[in-house]
Amino acid sequence: MALDGWKERLFRQYLYWICRPARLKRKLSALVKERRPAPPVEGRRLKAAALQVKIRLFKEPLDYAAEMHRRVAEAAAAGAQLVAFPEDNNLPLLGFLPGLEEVGETLSDGEPEAPPIAAGAPEITVAEVIRYAGPVMAPFLETLYSSLAASYGIYLMAGSFLLPDGERVVNRAFLYGPDGKLIGTQDKVHLMPIEVEWGISAGREFNLFETAAGKIAAPVCMDATFFETFRILELQGAEIVIIPIANPEPYNYWLALRGIWPRVQECPVYGIKSALVGKLLGFEFTGRAGIFAPAELTPGGSGVLAEVESPEEEGMAVAEMDLEALQELRRDHPWRDSNPVLYRRYFPHIYSVLEESQRFEEAAGD
Amino acid sequence: MRVAALSLAGLPLGEPADYAAALTSLLKKLQVRLAVLPAHTSFLLCAAQGHLGEISDFPDSFKAFMQKSKDWNEEYLQLHGRLAVENRLYLVPGTTVEEEGGRFFITSYLLGPDGKNMGRQRQAHLNREERGLGLSRGGELSLFDLAGMKTGLIIGTDARHPEVGRILALEGADLVVHCGALAAGRELAFQPAGIWAQVQQNQFWAVEAQLGRSMGNRAFGGQCAVIGPCEITPGFTGYLDREAAGKPFAAAELREADRRRIKSDYPLLKLLRPEAYRGRLPELYR
Repeated sequence: MALDGWKERLFRQYLYWICRPARLKRKLSALVKERRPAPPVEGRRLKAAALQVKIRLFKEPLDYAAEMHRRVAEAAAAGAQLVAFPEDNNLPLLGFLPGLEEVGETLSDGEPEAPPIAAGAPEITVAEVIRYAGPVMAPFLETLYSSLAASYGIYLMAGSFLLPDGERVVNRAFLYGPDGKLIGTQDKVHLMPIEVEWGISAGREFNLFETAAGKIAAPVCMDATFFETFRILELQGAEIVIIPIANPEPYNYWLALRGIWPRVQECPVYGIKSALVGKLLGFEFTGRAGIFAPAELTPGGSGVLAEVESPEEEGMAVAEMDLEALQELRRDHPWRDSNPVLYRRYFPHIYSVLEESQRFEEAAGD
Repeated sequence: MRVAALSLAGLPLGEPADYAAALTSLLKKLQVRLAVLPAHTSFLLCAAQGHLGEISDFPDSFKAFMQKSKDWNEEYLQLHGRLAVENRLYLVPGTTVEEEGGRFFITSYLLGPDGKNMGRQRQAHLNREERGLGLSRGGELSLFDLAGMKTGLIIGTDARHPEVGRILALEGADLVVHCGALAAGRELAFQPAGIWAQVQQNQFWAVEAQLGRSMGNRAFGGQCAVIGPCEITPGFTGYLDREAAGKPFAAAELREADRRRIKSDYPLLKLLRPEAYRGRLPELYR
């Protein structure tokens, strides 16, 4: 990364060349010859696949494309009409940066000295890497996931990507329709402290997308820690909330339970969790991809329709969601209630205590 | 501070003196500063002591209790006030029904070690059955100073409405107590979606008392628990103690230093993004 002048420009041209859409399209047209398109969505029933992706770096972007195609083809073959990839799903592409794979191997071997990227040292931040590589990755990702959605006739949540957006770097989820068109995007609103250190900027609102398959939202990972995300989406009419995750900690059932599962119970919606797993750059990602529903709509009241068994290996959870049953539950819910008098008394000004305490801490810091 | 949640399973309820003696015997063993009883404690005692006739159909009996509650509450509060004094502890004696101006509320009281009523909290959300019974919602949430810990009361269905925990947390709650009565069967699988989940997204302590008895044709089967943020509990479970077979209570020591540490290391509430809610919530809550 210490290149400058003509060497830097030459290297960047090389990256553009290996990621150029025309090259990718040729690869994809070869791959999807044998495709088995998913059945179109009819009525209010929808089959979804939550993918669990094992992370690894790809030096050759076309290999990454082939791997993502393999996962989509498997999901479509299982009848999935909506397929969800995990958070940070563009990180494997960074393998095209020389040396990154070796850095990762060093860290995996227990090398105590963290490289600047993982440590977030001031010399080079994750945000700077993304600002450099992002303009190359963005058209490649757009072409790849748009083509996969159209080729298999599916709704495709491509996962979230770390990408530059002007001066900011965001963690942005992408939803494509069965015609390959981009339906919409969602920037992660609640960032983990480490993402703030990395220089990532937070989203400012929650988006809901009305589609022929239902009203879908795709907030990202940590957004599921806070009930406000799901409540805002539920009250706007969300039926399916997809949460792509990349959870950088060893798996623990209870720690993992703090996300989508209780949110789906609090705010009756269907929930899809897609998970990135495996080790990269000193981080260990774990999680169990799954499809969740209000307890009233699941066998035994578990709130789980399907879940990948291993928190560390590749997998796929497939289940059917009945959106009409969800609406019926909402119309006559056994315990869900609303208390506008209470909410008017406290919301939104109750949050001002946070800003006051922040101001106080900043003043104390000065 | 050592705390306990009791399910009332196995306690004699028919005679006030027997009930008080059995409860005192249990509390003396537990040596706690705060004890929490489950939802419907008042209704259960009123019925067991023969004031409501034969209990068969739950909603019909509850309607009878609503009418009786005004006369009964004094006796109920006096009995538990004496228990608080005798055991030198703070006591939340479950829930009762409170009538005011022709409206009925589900209410919990906090009794001090001097037996005096320190305050009350009305349930703010009602389930379908409670709405059908003509109950009304409370519109305010309060915090009480319990031996230096700011304490809120989360009653019944409020446990499943995360707004309640968030309001209390942002008002500064260190501890919430919950009086619950989950029906046996399907409801039990998602008990963690209630108070446990509120603890995890607000980083306060919780003492959750769940009723462990049957009333007429209805069985209750929730599990009492003392809950804290996962990071400061054994196995990251979020539980300091849980009710078990032959142990109709959960009891544990709350170590505030541990909670302060995790709030400092992982300041969850500071990660909230009010700017993303402010524009939407007021309009949507309307």
